Amino acid sequence: MLWIALYFPALSLDWIERRFPEALIPAIGVTVRKGNQTCIQQANKPAQARGVMAGQPLASALAVFPDLVIMEQDPREEGKALQQAVYAALRFTPNIAVQNNGLIAEVSGSLKLFGSLKNLCQSLNRVVTAQGLQLSAGIAPTATAAWLLARSAQQGTVINGKGEEFRILLDALPVGLLESVQPHLEVIRGIGCKTLADLRRLPRSGVARRFGPDLPVELDRAYGDSPDPQKWFEAPEDFQQKIKMMGLVENTELLLVPAQRMVEQMCGWLALRHAAVSAFSFVLHHEYSLRQHHKFTSVNIRLSEQSSDPAHLMLLLREHLERTKIVAPVCELELTADEIAAGADGNLELFPTMQSETTSLNRFIEKLSSRLGPEAITGLKVVSDHRPEYSQRLELSGTGGLNPFSKRETNSQIIPPESPRPAWLREIPLELKVQRGRPVYESPLKLLAGPERIEAGWWNDAAIARDYFIAENNQGQLLWIYREHNPVEKDKGNKGGNWYLQGLFG
Amino acid sequence: MPASPPSGSPAPLSLSQIETRFRNRIWRGDALGASDDPVISSGFQGLDKELPGGGWPTRNLTELLLPTEGLGEIRLLSYALEEITRSERNILLIAPPYIPYMHAWAHLGVDGRHIVMVRACKPAERLWTLEQGIRSAAFGTIIGWLPEASQQATRKLQILSRTAASLVFLFRPARARFEPSAAPLRILLSPVRGHSHTLSLYLLKRRGAPFVLPIRIPLPQAAVFSRSAELKSPLIHSYC
Repeated sequence: MLWIALYFPALSLDWIERRFPEALIPAIGVTVRKGNQTCIQQANKPAQARGVMAGQPLASALAVFPDLVIMEQDPREEGKALQQAVYAALRFTPNIAVQNNGLIAEVSGSLKLFGSLKNLCQSLNRVVTAQGLQLSAGIAPTATAAWLLARSAQQGTVINGKGEEFRILLDALPVGLLESVQPHLEVIRGIGCKTLADLRRLPRSGVARRFGPDLPVELDRAYGDSPDPQKWFEAPEDFQQKIKMMGLVENTELLLVPAQRMVEQMCGWLALRHAAVSAFSFVLHHEYSLRQHHKFTSVNIRLSEQSSDPAHLMLLLREHLERTKIVAPVCELELTADEIAAGADGNLELFPTMQSETTSLNRFIEKLSSRLGPEAITGLKVVSDHRPEYSQRLELSGTGGLNPFSKRETNSQIIPPESPRPAWLREIPLELKVQRGRPVYESPLKLLAGPERIEAGWWNDAAIARDYFIAENNQGQLLWIYREHNPVEKDKGNKGGNWYLQGLFG
Repeated sequence: MPASPPSGSPAPLSLSQIETRFRNRIWRGDALGASDDPVISSGFQGLDKELPGGGWPTRNLTELLLPTEGLGEIRLLSYALEEITRSERNILLIAPPYIPYMHAWAHLGVDGRHIVMVRACKPAERLWTLEQGIRSAAFGTIIGWLPEASQQATRKLQILSRTAASLVFLFRPARARFEPSAAPLRILLSPVRGHSHTLSLYLLKRRGAPFVLPIRIPLPQAAVFSRSAELKSPLIHSYC
C-alpha cells in the first residue's frame, strides 16, 4: 500500500480567499471564540503584512489594522471546500479517506497509469492546489504515517517516506502531532518525551495505563505494526456543485477560474463512477434585485460524444461563456452533470484509427460550433434532383447529425457523368448583363458548349426551364450560365429570357 | 580536395561524406529538395516531377495563388482529394467562396460524405478555424480561402502543419505573390489563353532550385467538352 496524504493548514482561510478574484484579495482574519474572548485564528498574508497575527485577540488586531475583514470560522464551509478537494482528487484514485483538514489517498493502484509516483504526486498536488487550497503532502506506506508526515511538512512541500525510510522520518516527528496525545500533551512533554521515538521507548503497558489505550494503537498504526482500516469517501449519485462568489462579478473572464475548479471536480466525480458526461449545465445565479427579472442565466452544453476530459469540457464551457451575455452581476455559480453515460473516454491509441478520427471530428465540430455558432459548420447531402438548387442540402452539424461515416442512402446518380457540372455553385444565380446579344461577366462571354435543357420541378411550384451553356470569359474563367426558357414569350418574338450565372468550373 | 586523408589525426570529412552522413538534412542548392515527409501524388506527371518529394507535401503548408475562381483549381487538386476520400479521411473546406456542387465533385471521384464545410467571415475566425483544423486529427486535407494573411499568420500555420499528417492548402489571391509567406511551396495558377482545360502553374517557391518555366497541365474534364461540335448537339433533359 502506498498513501499520499494532503494537509490543508490554512483551510479556514482558503475557502474565503478563493471566492475572491486573485487580484482583489483583501486582508482577512478568521476568528474563533475562546471562552468569552474572540481571537484571530488565522490571518492571511496581506493581514500579516499589516501586523495582524494568529492568536491575537480580535480587539488588538482591529487596533493594529482597522480595515481587517473579519470572518468567523465556519466548519460547514470548510467541510464543503474539503469535499470539493476530494472530488478533484478522485481523478487519481477512487480510495480517498477524508480527515480533519486534509485527505489521505491510497495510490498504489494508480502508479502505472500516471507513470510514476513523482508524476502522480505532482499532478495530484497541482489539481488540488488549483482548487484554491494551500497544502503540504506526505507519502508513506501507512495511512497514519503519511498523514503525520504531511502535517509536519512545510507548506507547499512533500515529505517522501517511501519504503522503509518512513520509520526513521516518523521517529523524529514531535509528539504533538498525534491525535491521542492532545489531552496529555503537558504531561508527556513534562516527562521529557519530545519525539515519537522517545514515546516508543517508554514501556508499552505503562503508556496504555496512563494515557489510555488509543495512544499505543495510534503509534502502531503509524509504524505499520497493526492494521489501519480507513473509511472511504462515498460520492453521491449525482453531481451538483455550487460556488458562491464574494463580490459581484460582471466579467466572464473572472468566472473562468471557479468554472475550471468545478469542471475538475466534476471530472473527479465522473472518474469515480467510471462514467463520462454527455450533457451538463452551468448556471449563473444573479443577485436578487427588484429592478431586473433575471434570476439566473443557464448555459446548457450538450456534447456530441461523451467525455470526461477536463480540458475538453473546459474548452467547450469557455467558448459558450464567451458568447453568453451576462445581464446582471453574478453571485453564485452552479454546475450540474445532467446526463452521464457509462464508460469513460476511448482508450489511448497508438495509431489513428477510424474511431479516433470520428472522435476528433466530433470534438472539432463541437469546438467550432461553440465559437462560430452551430450553423457555421455543415456537411453536404446529395439529393436526387436535376435542379441545381435542389440537388443538395446543407446538413447542419448538430449532435450526431453530421457523421460522415454513417451510411447515408447511396447517391443515386441521376445526373449522367457525361453532362458537365461545375465544382462551384452560386447561392443565388446572378443575373448577367447583355451586350450586343451576348451575356457579360467581367467581359463578354464566349459560349463553349450547350445548350443542355433542364426542365423540372413542376410538382412543387418551383418549376424551372432553363438552357444551360458553358461559357468562358477573358480571364479564363469557365462559367456555367443559363437562359430562362419560356415558350410563351418566345412566341411573342422575344428570343429567350434573361441570362444568369449559376456556377463556376473550379 | 584531400583524396587520401593524412594518417594519425582524424580525417576531415569530404563533401560527399558529409552529404551522405547528413542526408535528408542538407540539400544542394541546385538540386530539387527532398524531404522525409510523405507526399500524395498530384496526379499530373509534369507537376509531380517538379514538386519536391514528387507530390503534394503533407506536414507543410502549400499556397495556391489564384487570380480568380473558376480556373480549374478544384480539378487541380481532385486526384489528391480522391485519394484522401478513398482512404476514408475527411476534407475540411474553410470559407469557400461558393457552394461546392457535390455532383461535380463526385464526378471527380471525391466522396461528398467526407466533406465538412465551415463558414467563417472574419479573417481572425478563418485563421482560428484553420488552426483548429490542422490541430485536429480528423482531416486528411484542409483547404482554406484566406484573402488576407500576414507573414506571422502563415508562419504560425506552417509551424502547426509540421505536426499534422495532413495536406494543407491555402487559396490566396494572386496579388499575394509579392507578400512574403512562410509556406515552403507556393504556386501561381493561371489560365492558358485559348485552351480552356489547361492550367499553367508557376512554381514561385519550392525547396530546391527555382523553376521559372510554367508547367502546363491538362485538367480532367467531362466527356462533352472533348466533343468537337458541341453547340450543335444540344443535350436535353426534359422531365415533364
